[in-house]
Amino acid sequence: MDFSTLFIIIIGSIFVNNFVIHRFLGLCPYIGVSKKMDSALGMGMAVIFVMTMASTITWLIYTFFLNEATSIFGLDLTFLRTITFILSIAVLVQFVEMVIKKAAPELYKALGIYLPLITTNCAVLGVSLLNINENYNFIESIVNGAAAGVGFTLVLVLMAGIRERLEYSKVPRSMKGMPISFIIAGCMALAFLGFTGMKF
Amino acid sequence: MKDFIRPTLVLLIICLIAGTILAFIYQQTAPLIAENKLKAEEAARRLVLPDAEFFKPVSDSSDVLYYEGYNADSTLVGYVFSCVQYGYSSDVKTIVGLTPELMINAITVVSQAETPGLGANCTRDDFTTQFAGKNPYNIYVDKDGGVIQSLTGATITTRAVTNAIRDTFQKLRDKL
Amino acid sequence: MKAIQEFTKGIIKENPVFVMALGLCPTLAVSTSVQNAIGMGAAATFVLLCSNIFISLIKNLIPSKVRIPCFILVIASFVTIIDMVMEAYVPPLHKSLGIFIPLIVVNCIILGRAEAFASKNGVFKSMLDGLGMGLGFMLAIMVIALIREILGVGTILNIRILPASYKPMIAAILPPGAFITIGLLMGLLSILQNKKKSKA
Repeated sequence: MDFSTLFIIIIGSIFVNNFVIHRFLGLCPYIGVSKKMDSALGMGMAVIFVMTMASTITWLIYTFFLNEATSIFGLDLTFLRTITFILSIAVLVQFVEMVIKKAAPELYKALGIYLPLITTNCAVLGVSLLNINENYNFIESIVNGAAAGVGFTLVLVLMAGIRERLEYSKVPRSMKGMPISFIIAGCMALAFLGFTGMKF
Repeated sequence: MKDFIRPTLVLLIICLIAGTILAFIYQQTAPLIAENKLKAEEAARRLVLPDAEFFKPVSDSSDVLYYEGYNADSTLVGYVFSCVQYGYSSDVKTIVGLTPELMINAITVVSQAETPGLGANCTRDDFTTQFAGKNPYNIYVDKDGGVIQSLTGATITTRAVTNAIRDTFQKLRDKL
Repeated sequence: MKAIQEFTKGIIKENPVFVMALGLCPTLAVSTSVQNAIGMGAAATFVLLCSNIFISLIKNLIPSKVRIPCFILVIASFVTIIDMVMEAYVPPLHKSLGIFIPLIVVNCIILGRAEAFASKNGVFKSMLDGLGMGLGFMLAIMVIALIREILGVGTILNIRILPASYKPMIAAILPPGAFITIGLLMGLLSILQNKKKSKA
């Protein structure tokens, strides 16, 4: 296992190709759940968890059932990729919700309301598809899933921090709420542009 | 128990129907998709070596694959190879056509996701035409003391294209 | 409500992007050129139309417990169809939209309309609703793409409209440009709404 590849994937997914502001994945929660720091953190943790799990499971499904070369059926079923991935993510989220509810009620209290929202978070399906497109192996996929989740949490928490302060500042009436959030996101994206082209 | 059976059945039936329809459409479109890919590769080869009538793939035990281009009389009119290197934010893949004298005939950038308006300009003709007639063995970007003019604000992309051509050619040269 | 209103409401009054802030990820990601915007809009409209029609047809057969998984299955099937068809007939467009075609599955507009409208209304109305919402979505991406392409490249549909001496504002087609454009557009819309309210 080459650790420098993993390191590049981690830095790449958190900073350089940040899922939210570089790839535009997971914008709905980014704008919707970033009003308060607490909920941003809760959502972030839930997303890291689900993205890591989803990367693991979808990679296994793709490798052992869909991809002709490595499949146990020996059939090329790659065209069923989208439909199997979204279903397994939906099942996974439901399952995680049930397990957490039983095993860790405290955690469930904190994350519970965010879990159902994650099924339709395009970042989760996005990371599963990207892992396949980039030909990542098993370990790389898991690491990429976790790093993408961390990147998502990072910008979500940053955004929440800014928006909490924004409550006390004067914003033109028409720009209040969503419009000003997008402008802030734009400034953040400008800042993150500084990371592109980083070489190791 | 009845609550449990009906939803499962409905889901199963929808899955089956969806799977069948998708498999059918896949069968219809798969040959077209494969054909498109071949056509696109062929078109890129023709672009960089317009004199060639047909191409013969050559690959040996090593990992480098290249094509020999022949005209209608089956005389060799040049070679085509592809090379790839990581640029500013993506892998930049270039197809290079060589004359029989091993000078660059033409190049075309076939896939890249560089910064739009800067690095992405590497696909434009006014950038790629400057490679024609150059010797690929010692081709360098102007910033590295060579003759290839960098794209404005995108030296890294230019370097990726240039260095990929040089590195791959140096590996290939003994075989041509 | 009259049938024609089911069609027109999606385009302006309940525009999915500007008014309801749904489907933001594809809107921002593919609005780098008008051509991409039209392609994405057409693909999403097709999926929305088909899934709305299909779901309103089978709505009485689906047990309400597994409603959402059924909707996702139907939507994912149509998405896979359009994915394969586009790859076969318009490969360059398919390539430039990339993973955003499979990601139509998690576009909240489509699942949202299935749940909120098609599962409660007849086939004809659902069809009009799907078409209207789809076109509203397409209109929104096209407006954003138009602004970004003119400012960032100086062209519309690759035809130069600003003089060659115009130095393109490259930031407009980079991620920050997307956020700032949509922020300003939403601000503009709310100025218009506020004016309307104060008049009434």
